[in-house]
Amino acid sequence: MVDDGAVLLVEAAQRGDVLAMNDLLDLLAPYVGRICGPIALDSGQDATQEALVAVFRALRTLREPGALYGWVRAIAVREAVRIARRESRSAPAELADLPAPGDPQLATDIEDVLARLSPEHRAVLVLRDVEGMDERSAAALLDLPAGTVKSRLHRARDSFRKAWKS
Amino acid sequence: MEVVNEHWPRAELDAVQRLRVLAAMIAGAAVTERVIAAPFEEVWGLLTDLEGTFGEIQPDMRHLHVAQRSGDRLVAHVRSRYGMRARFDGVLRPGSCWLQSRFLLVGMAAAGAPGGGTLVALTGGVRVPGRPALVPIGVRREARRSLDRLERLLT
Repeated sequence: MVDDGAVLLVEAAQRGDVLAMNDLLDLLAPYVGRICGPIALDSGQDATQEALVAVFRALRTLREPGALYGWVRAIAVREAVRIARRESRSAPAELADLPAPGDPQLATDIEDVLARLSPEHRAVLVLRDVEGMDERSAAALLDLPAGTVKSRLHRARDSFRKAWKS
Repeated sequence: MEVVNEHWPRAELDAVQRLRVLAAMIAGAAVTERVIAAPFEEVWGLLTDLEGTFGEIQPDMRHLHVAQRSGDRLVAHVRSRYGMRARFDGVLRPGSCWLQSRFLLVGMAAAGAPGGGTLVALTGGVRVPGRPALVPIGVRREARRSLDRLERLLT
C-alpha cells in the first residue's frame, strides 16, 4: 500500500520539486536495494542504481502514484535479472548442488548459497519470500510460464527452507 | 521470514549514485563527474562552506546566507553577481547537497573514489517551471568550470 505521503511526494516530484525527489529516493532506495541485492549479488549496487535510474526516468509518466511499489518492484526485478545475467560468467549450478540441510556454512554464508542459483531463481525467491507474491504474479513479472515458476520455486524454496530451519 | 530477511544481502547507493538517479528524472540535466586528487573531507568541506568557498566555486551563488537550518534541511538567501535575490531550499548531508529556488537548481555529491581521491559529481541549471526539467544550455560547461575552480582552491 502507498500512503498519502508517498503519493504527495510523487506528485511534487512530477512537478519538478527536487527536494521531493530526494525524499522519494530515501523511501525507495532501501526497498530497491532489498530486491536488487539478493538477485544481482556483487553487482547489487549497480543494479540498484540502474533500477532507480529507470524508475526516476519513468516517474514523470507514472499516472497512478497509488501503484508505486508494484511498479517499482517490477522495474527493480527486471533490471536486477538483466544486470546479473550480463555479469555472470559461469553457468549456474544445479539446485542439487546446494549444501545439504544442516551444513553449518549455510547459517553464515547465504550469499554463497544465492550465488549458486541463476538470477531467475534468485528473483523467484525474492518475489515469493521477501515480497510475498503468489506464483502467478511472480511468473507474470518475470515473463515466465506459471508452471516454470512453480517448479523452480518448489525446488529452490524447499532447499532453502530446510537449510535455514536446520 | 524476518530472520531470513536479515541475512539477505542488501545493496546501498553512495551519494554520487544518488545524484545520478535524481538527475535521471530531470530532463535536460547533465551530470559532470571528476576524480579530485584530495581527501573527501577536504573536498566536501570546500564545496559545502556555503557562505565561503562555495561562492568561489559557484560564482552565481556568491553572497549566500544560510537563514535557517533544521536537521539536514536548510533555507538560504542568495544574491547573485547580477544583483538578483532568491530564496533557496535545500538538503545538506555528508556527500550530498541539493539547493533549489524557483528558477535555479544546484546538485552536488562526493564519495571516495575506488582508486583514491574523491569522485565529485555536479548537476544543476535553470529550472523549467512546473515540471522536472532544466533549460539545457551550458550546463556541462558551467559544471566543468566549477570543478576547475574547486581544483584550483585545493592547490
